[in-house]
Amino acid sequence: MMPLTQLQRGSRGKVTDMASVSFMVRRRLSDLGVTEGSIVSVRKMLPFGGPCTIESNGQWIAIRRKEAQAVRVLAL
Amino acid sequence: MISVALLGNPNTGKTSLFNALTRSYEYVGNWAGVTVEKKVGVLLDKKGELVDLPGVYSLSPLSRDEAVTSEYLLQTAPDVVLNVVDASQIERNLHLTLQLADYGRPLVVALNMTDVAEGRGVQIDPAELARQLGAAVIPVVARTEKGCRELLREIARTGERTVPVRTAYAAPLEEAIAELEARIPADAGPGRWLALQFLEGNEAVVQRLRKVLPAAWLDAFFRSTEAAVLARTECRDLQQYIRQQRSDRIANILSACCRRVSSSSSTFSEKLDAIVTHKWLGIPIFLLFMFLTFKLTFDWFGTPISDRLDALLSGPVSDGLQRLLQQLGAADFIQAVILNGIVAGVGGVLVFVPQIFMLFLIISFIEDSGYMARIATVMDKLMEGAGLNGKTFIPMIIGFGCNVPGIMAARTIEQPRERLLTILLTPLMSCSARLSVYSLFVGVFFQSHKAIIVLSLYVLGVVVALTLAKLFSCTLARGEETIFVVELPPYRFPQWKTLARSTWEKGKGFVRKAGTFIFGGSVLIWLLSYTGFRGWNVPIDHSFMRSIGDLIAPLLQPLGFGNWQAGAALITGFLAKEVVVSTMGIIYATSGDAGLQQALGTYFSPLQAYSFMVFILLYVPCLATVGVIRKETNSAKWTWFSVGYALIVAYLLSILIYRIGLLLGFH
Repeated sequence: MMPLTQLQRGSRGKVTDMASVSFMVRRRLSDLGVTEGSIVSVRKMLPFGGPCTIESNGQWIAIRRKEAQAVRVLAL
Repeated sequence: MISVALLGNPNTGKTSLFNALTRSYEYVGNWAGVTVEKKVGVLLDKKGELVDLPGVYSLSPLSRDEAVTSEYLLQTAPDVVLNVVDASQIERNLHLTLQLADYGRPLVVALNMTDVAEGRGVQIDPAELARQLGAAVIPVVARTEKGCRELLREIARTGERTVPVRTAYAAPLEEAIAELEARIPADAGPGRWLALQFLEGNEAVVQRLRKVLPAAWLDAFFRSTEAAVLARTECRDLQQYIRQQRSDRIANILSACCRRVSSSSSTFSEKLDAIVTHKWLGIPIFLLFMFLTFKLTFDWFGTPISDRLDALLSGPVSDGLQRLLQQLGAADFIQAVILNGIVAGVGGVLVFVPQIFMLFLIISFIEDSGYMARIATVMDKLMEGAGLNGKTFIPMIIGFGCNVPGIMAARTIEQPRERLLTILLTPLMSCSARLSVYSLFVGVFFQSHKAIIVLSLYVLGVVVALTLAKLFSCTLARGEETIFVVELPPYRFPQWKTLARSTWEKGKGFVRKAGTFIFGGSVLIWLLSYTGFRGWNVPIDHSFMRSIGDLIAPLLQPLGFGNWQAGAALITGFLAKEVVVSTMGIIYATSGDAGLQQALGTYFSPLQAYSFMVFILLYVPCLATVGVIRKETNSAKWTWFSVGYALIVAYLLSILIYRIGLLLGFH
């Protein structure tokens, strides 16, 4: 298990734990179909600790770096 | 007439479908949150009324626009629920569909974007999906209106409608739903749906049930149900459990009706994203895009056409009208009101129609292409520094067109604090009405640097807004951390038809305003300049207008434009910023000078003109904007605050720019 941000660019991971992601962000991500068990990959990270773009199920979502760090994943 | 409610996830083409199914036209964009309030249209076959509701992922609202949808379902029972489902994201879309099936009204599913889904290798069998859901399923492509006729026929079909298949939940939950349902009085609404939504934590439903059942009992019931359910699973809370149960059913449905041929992601969007959201180039590219926008609006396209329009209005049209009036033997008074009042006032504003339509065309392009969400992402870090998030930049960009829809778009922002700040700061975005003032002034004073001067004003508005956001979030509106989650839709090239329509929809307001508000304002302003304490037809220096202007001119002296004409124009500009142009047109036309442009040249220096434009940019939101701020904040205090802080900031900045400019040797 590791933070989503440490996932190698382009490789995929399975979300294992989102408990420490803030409530609102967790709700929104779950609305977009990203919950425990989803397969995600990191597409892009903007500089200066800016947002990171993740891909899940063919859709792209931008979230903040610190929220992405709170998502724990298992590299596949 | 039957009532049809249109629901679906954000950015699934609801508004496109609404436009295809009704004669009316709505605003379409490629970003989540285009519809912020419900809108009603009559179906093409005139058999029903279609209500377009803001897009939601689930029925539990997180933001203000989503609350509109939940409230609607609580208060009205539509005859048919029309659910738009994005076939390319069917899994996530079906979560909403299942919640709507529980609502118990007849359900029609418009399976949209089947073309996109097939491109991604996803094939869906509509007949099987219909059987699984117990609802009619019609494949459509809303953008090209394919399948819309079949959809209309299905909606109009009455009689043999079936109730959708409800989701059956596992043991302890299903019993709890039944227990609560039995207690909910029949007139409160669909019992099973209310019970489920209550257990899912839908705030709007919780409030509703508290009116009919004792609050203490409801709380205890919720806690005991949650405890009973969580004891048997590993879920974090009841909400997650219910969601998981739905996911299980969705997996079953999809295994029966959905075939994945191959999965290929759209490489075009990826390639484009590599450039426009590039690490270092993202923000410079956005600024370049804005610069090109102003180049197009001013240098390449808008201004040349405006100039021709101006020549036409002030030449042949004016002269023709004058000759006509003389032939008809119209009184001097009538001639004066028409030529010096209406033609000068309304015409002065109308000549800027080409620039404004150009700007609206580009804003429509940003919205429809999918670039909007990328701008939000690129700007997030900067906005976070100011205590906001990247999504708050969307209302601000819309505010470049007109502040009123910009402030409305702030409803999509989840956190109340960020929403309030966005509402308060969006008026600093330079709207198209202010553009008409700049066009007039840069045309006179900054011939060779039009685009860059105007861009500087737009950037100044954004910089002031961000600085104030930082200031306010450290002082007035503290608390709550900011959040940022934004969906990046695939890019698509906007269809010309949609672009043309949405440009016209936005620009229409400007033209209409010229015909009504500015028309009336022009007559009034002309009257003020025609009359005075000594009676009618006084020289302009003895008019009421002059008296009004003289009142505040001394206050404006330190800013560099202490003449009474500027004072009068600023006061009338509160009605609408274009009225500044009308007022100046009328004042200078009446004073008998050559043209408005030459007249301005004698009353302002370039530095004074810039200071004046900065003041116009910031000084107070226009009347319509103040109205919408009052409505959206629901607070007189914040409304007054928005007017007050703007005046102070405008005054200070104009002084600063004028004084520094003088020191640097400009004049």
